[in-house]
Amino acid sequence: MNETSLLFNYLSVGAILFALGLVGFLVRRNMILMFLCAEMMLQGVSVSLIGWGRYHADWGGQMLVIFMITVAACEAGIGLALILMLAQRTGKLDSTVWQDLREEGLPAYVDREVPEERAEEQVWPTLTPAGRRPEIDLEELSHRSRV
Amino acid sequence: MSGISSLFLVAAKTLTAREILECRTFWGLVLAAVGLWLALPKRVAYGKTIGGVLGIVGLSLVASDWPLLPTLTDQAVFWLLASITIVAAVATITSYSPVYSAIWFALSLLGTGGLFFFNGAQFLGVATIVVYAGAIVVTFLFVIMLAQPEGQASYDRISWGWFAKTASVLVAAAIVGLMTMLLGGIKEQALAHAAAANEVTSSPRDAEGPIVTADKPFNPVLDHPHHMARLGAVLFSQHVISVELAGTLLLAALVGAVAIAAYGKRRLTTQVEDAMRLEEAPR
Repeated sequence: MNETSLLFNYLSVGAILFALGLVGFLVRRNMILMFLCAEMMLQGVSVSLIGWGRYHADWGGQMLVIFMITVAACEAGIGLALILMLAQRTGKLDSTVWQDLREEGLPAYVDREVPEERAEEQVWPTLTPAGRRPEIDLEELSHRSRV
Repeated sequence: MSGISSLFLVAAKTLTAREILECRTFWGLVLAAVGLWLALPKRVAYGKTIGGVLGIVGLSLVASDWPLLPTLTDQAVFWLLASITIVAAVATITSYSPVYSAIWFALSLLGTGGLFFFNGAQFLGVATIVVYAGAIVVTFLFVIMLAQPEGQASYDRISWGWFAKTASVLVAAAIVGLMTMLLGGIKEQALAHAAAANEVTSSPRDAEGPIVTADKPFNPVLDHPHHMARLGAVLFSQHVISVELAGTLLLAALVGAVAIAAYGKRRLTTQVEDAMRLEEAPR
């Protein structure tokens, strides 16, 4: 197999994955999605490392990827615990909620023109209603998912 | 191939503006960036359809500029895996619902695992699927279901304004362009190599012999029959201290995650109440 073209193809795919992860990290506001995008950047680097390891015919690339998987698992554990804690405090996964941490003197980010949720994007399977309608606690609704 | 140092491989070459404008990669990246911009939230009307078409056309243009792998099967398998990986990655960052994002990310990981298999990293292919798609993505899904307040939150529909979207898409296109155009030493070498291989194979093919490529036919180190045993031998001989460090890191992360989950969610008000109760108790 032509090792050099294989290397070039793998490096290109790795670069595209890394760039997509970067875009997602910068554009999305959901904390869990930002975390997923960080993992995607790690995947891009892994693809490049595997390509280099194959090209040089040694185990160095694969060793680095093994340790990257280990560190990514640690990061996911701690990061998800932190995100869960933050979400339980505010009931939101929005990173804008924590914008009090921004630099002094910067204006706050305010949402403008929030588009309405369209009905066709939110189609869930339904059951026929039966029995007595339960009483809804308004306070509970603010921090629990819609049932 | 061995005579060329790897530094020379990635040596940056100087490009003129005309060369860039004539390059298919440049226009492909521009198209793909516009498509990604249209598909990202906050979405414009028909953004996903137009963006998807533009993205596919752009990525095909970029991919048509890559050097070809020698056999048709290799090329087909590589393109299948790479397109699964990249399309699923795009869907991950453009989905409104975080649950869909996590599932698309799992699909992207399956594609990456396939790419690892294809490149002679069997153990890592399996490990990626088991550890990432099997464990980490499922943990993500748990957290989404525990913490997501609604099916689709408003912050998933709008995200940041147009400026962050435009700037990050441009930066991403610039990164890919730098990697594939400016660091083109590898590509030129690959093209020269393929041309040389064609010249070598064109003459013996007439003599009805097996096709001899100029390249080495297999990778003697990574394609070893006892792949796992060799990998383990290298891991536990040269990298044994790193293994110990990684184990310590895992333990520390475990303790840290438990500590955060156990103590982190106590609100300040409950702590104050606890303190007041303690003060009141003796009286």
